[in-house]
Amino acid sequence: MSDEQVSDQVEEQVQEPSADDVLAGELSELFALQLDRLAQWDLCLIAESDNFIDVLRYLRDKKSFAVLLDITAVDYLSFPGHRDERFAVVYLLKNLETCQRICIKVMVEEDEARLQTVCRLWKNANWLEREVFDQYGIHFQGHPNLKRILNHHQFVGHPLRKDYPVQKRQKLSVNDPMLDQLHQRLEENGYIIIEEAKPGESIQFGEQA
Amino acid sequence: MVYQAKPEAPGTLTQAEFDAGAGFLTTTRDTLVNWGRRNSLWPFPFGTACCAIEFMGTVSSVFDISRFGAELVRFSPRQSDLLLIAGTVTYKQAPILRRIYDQMCEPKWVIAAGACACTGGFYDCYCTVPGIDEIIPVDIYVAGCPPRPEAFLEAVVQLQDNIDRERLDVKKAIS
Repeated sequence: MSDEQVSDQVEEQVQEPSADDVLAGELSELFALQLDRLAQWDLCLIAESDNFIDVLRYLRDKKSFAVLLDITAVDYLSFPGHRDERFAVVYLLKNLETCQRICIKVMVEEDEARLQTVCRLWKNANWLEREVFDQYGIHFQGHPNLKRILNHHQFVGHPLRKDYPVQKRQKLSVNDPMLDQLHQRLEENGYIIIEEAKPGESIQFGEQA
Repeated sequence: MVYQAKPEAPGTLTQAEFDAGAGFLTTTRDTLVNWGRRNSLWPFPFGTACCAIEFMGTVSSVFDISRFGAELVRFSPRQSDLLLIAGTVTYKQAPILRRIYDQMCEPKWVIAAGACACTGGFYDCYCTVPGIDEIIPVDIYVAGCPPRPEAFLEAVVQLQDNIDRERLDVKKAIS
């Protein structure tokens, strides 16, 4: 293949913008989003913490990004060349009609580590945000039940932060009872709680450090 | 009329044989008790990962753990005397494992099967217990990721050897 043909092909690609490019252009125009140049796979846009819910709602309602695949976070502490806010919360959406995926990134300050919840947009955001809270310590304001989901309730700190000591182990000395959720679910299913479990009723095991 | 004497039931002793001491076997109390215990281990499988799948293979007909008298798998700690941890144990599960161990009646033995149960395996992280001997005492460690059924059988045989050496007048050290 000669150089001329190669350059022709490149030009053709430039002339026909992909669906991702169209969407990126539209969103940048509407919400002034920045394109994340470091993203290697899907389309990734950086939103501001005061308008990202509008972006997500627009994508869900107008662009058929009906599925919230995941919410996760990135800790940019010690990331080479990074000077902005320490954390980024990442929302991954999928369009079931075009099979397009999009990634919306919101930068979050270390000091406050707060962000609005998206539980009202997607029900599964409830647990996903709890996971991000558990592992990164980012507080989602307006979340109905923001507590740890993976680590036990005696756990101190947030293990996926880059400054969490790798070798640190934290023992759990009592069972994780999860009685509050049991009560709630029983009542949702029409049962009546006659006697609530007392706090600290779970069984203590042995000596613990 | 043709008749013959009623034959004696096989296995019964005549008075003379009895007086001579036939039909008796002398042994020690420990040997007798240990013989009973070693040949009727009732495992409680605490299976949390792929090692438990290998244990299923060990119980099934090809490898057949019942050749060693340990086939009666129980899912109640009160009915079992061999706690078999096959899989990864996290700190969140640790109190549950400890509770199951505490609920088992004496005498009881523990086999830690597989790399995770022995050492935490490759889960060198904040959430995995680096070896269940941090939580409960362990009699036999089985290497492998996951161990082959033969390794499970080897563990049972080794545990039987350990049981043979136990003494009733010496209390087993348990935490």
